Amino acid sequence: MTAVLTAPETFVKTKRGKRSVLVGMSLVIVTLVIFCALFQQFVTPYSAGTQDLNNTLAGPSLSHLLGTDDLGRDVFSRIIVGARSALIGPAIIAFGAMLIGTLLGLTAGYRGGWYQTLVMRWVDLMFAVPQLLIAIVVVGVLQGSYWEAVLVLIVLTAPADTRLLRGATVAQRNLPYVEALRVVGVPSRRILAGHVWPTLMPLTVAQTFLNFATSIVTLASLSFLGLGVAPGAADWGRMLAEGRDLVVVNPWAAIGPGLAIALTAASMNIVGDWLLERLSSRGRARA
Amino acid sequence: MTGHEKLLEVEGLQITANVDGESRTLVSGINLTVDPGETIAIVGESGSGKSMTARALMGLLPDGVTVRGNVHYEGTQLLPGTRGRRLHKDFAMIFQDPFTMLNPLLPSGRHISETLRDEKGRRLRKPAARAVEIERLAEVGIQDPTVATRYPFELSGGMRQRVGIAATLASNPTLLIADEVTTALDVTTQAEILQLLKRVQRSRNVGMILITHDLSVAFSMADRVYVLYAGQLLEQSPSSRMLIEPLHPYTRGLLDSDPPLDHRAATLYSMPGSVPQASTVLHSCPFAARCAWAIEDCRTAATPLREIGGESGRSSACIRIEEIRGELGLVSEPSTADASGSEVGMSSSGAFLAVNNLRKEFSRGGRRVIALDSVSIEVAAGESVGIVGESGSGKTTLGRSIVGLETPTAGSIHINGVDATNYDALGHGQVAKLRTAVQMAFQDPYSTLSPARAVGPVLREALRLDNPQASNADVAELLKLVGLPASYARRKPAALSGGERQRVALARALARKPNLIVCDEIVSALDVSVQAQILNLLKRLRAELGIGYLFITHDLAVVRQITDRVYVLHRGRLVEHGPTGQVLDAPREEYTRSLVASVPQNTVTLL
Repeated sequence: MTAVLTAPETFVKTKRGKRSVLVGMSLVIVTLVIFCALFQQFVTPYSAGTQDLNNTLAGPSLSHLLGTDDLGRDVFSRIIVGARSALIGPAIIAFGAMLIGTLLGLTAGYRGGWYQTLVMRWVDLMFAVPQLLIAIVVVGVLQGSYWEAVLVLIVLTAPADTRLLRGATVAQRNLPYVEALRVVGVPSRRILAGHVWPTLMPLTVAQTFLNFATSIVTLASLSFLGLGVAPGAADWGRMLAEGRDLVVVNPWAAIGPGLAIALTAASMNIVGDWLLERLSSRGRARA
Repeated sequence: MTGHEKLLEVEGLQITANVDGESRTLVSGINLTVDPGETIAIVGESGSGKSMTARALMGLLPDGVTVRGNVHYEGTQLLPGTRGRRLHKDFAMIFQDPFTMLNPLLPSGRHISETLRDEKGRRLRKPAARAVEIERLAEVGIQDPTVATRYPFELSGGMRQRVGIAATLASNPTLLIADEVTTALDVTTQAEILQLLKRVQRSRNVGMILITHDLSVAFSMADRVYVLYAGQLLEQSPSSRMLIEPLHPYTRGLLDSDPPLDHRAATLYSMPGSVPQASTVLHSCPFAARCAWAIEDCRTAATPLREIGGESGRSSACIRIEEIRGELGLVSEPSTADASGSEVGMSSSGAFLAVNNLRKEFSRGGRRVIALDSVSIEVAAGESVGIVGESGSGKTTLGRSIVGLETPTAGSIHINGVDATNYDALGHGQVAKLRTAVQMAFQDPYSTLSPARAVGPVLREALRLDNPQASNADVAELLKLVGLPASYARRKPAALSGGERQRVALARALARKPNLIVCDEIVSALDVSVQAQILNLLKRLRAELGIGYLFITHDLAVVRQITDRVYVLHRGRLVEHGPTGQVLDAPREEYTRSLVASVPQNTVTLL
């Protein structure tokens, strides 16, 4: 049997049909975060901006699950509200990078020649520059907004997708099924869109989740540095930066958003791995 | 050692795999014995469990696969026993693929001396090791001492297989297990390796278990043959007697589906259907669904192997064998040659396909390799022409050049009057015209269809190139043409067997209504019974649609069945050509003669 696509060695070993505990937990976390991002106004006990100056820097209690920050704002509510900016940006980055990467990677891998050289040298160039630094410079110097940061990160993330897709396409190009379609007379565009891309789809999905997870951390890093989001906004990176100074009085003001970033990013990774395994075993021939 | 002592006795061997949390039986109720110095063969199609059986004896089963039953070796019980290791150090296995069984980073000699130790249990010193290596290589017929220092990639497939055998013999085994050792080799090399194995087995007087799908290999090598089907033994018999009178309908069918080399059969006998999964036929005769003699009793109870009365040393699992024995003997009436079609020849109308002085060079790592050297062939409309050669003969390059997957270095190709030498230089309309003239079918059924797409959309896509209004009904008709039910349109390739995939691939080629199909080894990866089905399909399509074939193959028996004329290629050059029967019966060139002589025949003698 020749599996056209083999899943890379995965971090989470799952038996088909059964999910490991880790995958289950990750799915719960991801679902929870998405739910918070969508329905935050119905979930939060307090609004994110409400200040209670009589009750600043309170420790965790029943009324404030994770305590309050230096302006008396409820940390727990702010984490829930922060889920939106923590997800939307990375989702757009991952999706945008997938579109660009798939388009460039598929065509470069299939056509070859000068076009491939051009695309791949661009990819090399993008890999040569330190990503976070470029983002900091562009967003910081130009006083950019959240959306400009997202745009910059799309351009910086797309090369990884491009390289992955190009490699996979080159491997498919000389397989009999592609050659057979060429001999039958199916146009290249349709071979790519209708046959090669669906075959590589699991790979793309997994890479998109991976990008998603990385972008959560990158965007949070930017806002931690005060870039992209306005001061006072309920953003995990921003909250982490502001909570830093309050560690002694209410450590949850820093630990809360920190945990939220770490758990969401890790869960996204695990879910992506699990999806890759599921999707790529689906089309596989009988053993 | 007394005469009755068995070297190996296997009783009630059962192998189960754990798939998706449920256990699935792969092999059940295997009883077999090997006498000292005896060669037995286990014959079966893919999925029969023959390799699993061999691996169970070597302790090489993958994770999640468990084995039950008793194994005795020279009277000592080995199974049930420790799992995860070789059952006994006297067992050794030779593997199928000579290209992956050697470590590419070690010189070939090291594979032999790696496991050897001196009396004190230390590794051999270099000079001593080298001496042993050269001696062992000589035993497998490699006289050149420099081979020991060469790396596997510097050796040919046959040489590697020899090194592999020498390495296997290094530990002085008394039981050799050979798993499809010749399948990946060319016919001429195959014959040499088989002779070598026979010689080694005789001179060392070791027992040998030969695992193969090829009945003729089994008959020419083994003293006794076990026939395995869907995880159960169907027949056991001395090879000479099985060849004359098989005692199971399946064995009969296998013998009849094997295309004969010496004549052309009008239609090949082909068993309907395909091999079932072992776990679904545990409590019935596994062959019942495909058997012409099956009765209700065959489907309701397990059919263990039993001794056949009046014949010592033979057993069959067929419960009706006493009744149907007479009929079984009659089936093999060879339906002899219909020479029809072979007169088509070159008519005055000129060639449909004309290849003239074709030359193709590849550059590999700075070296120039000449794949084709001034090759000229002609194919008339509706004619079936064979291209025969071993690997490296350039036969596949020739086929690929004709459909434009390679661009020739020099020479010309004309198809139906259109210059098809360089597809890239042609206009869109001309290429489209060529696509409806010549199509191609590929060797590997497992990668010839897009894994992510269902059959129906793929066929409809091909149909719509000519007729944008093509409907599901047209797809169904196309499937029917290649003998598949319309419901297959919804299936993905993963849910199809190898033979079914080749049918779909042919259907896709037929969607363009070509006059000629280039068939590149399309049956070589298929089981014998399925191969016969596909060959019959090709014959039928030719009769019904008047399609011609350019049939590329290494298998002389297959080429005999399907082609009118044949070209013999050797190292990129045309050696000989002529009417198929004439070339195979009375080859003019030395190379063709050696090719014909290497084909193992259904005879028990030779070697």
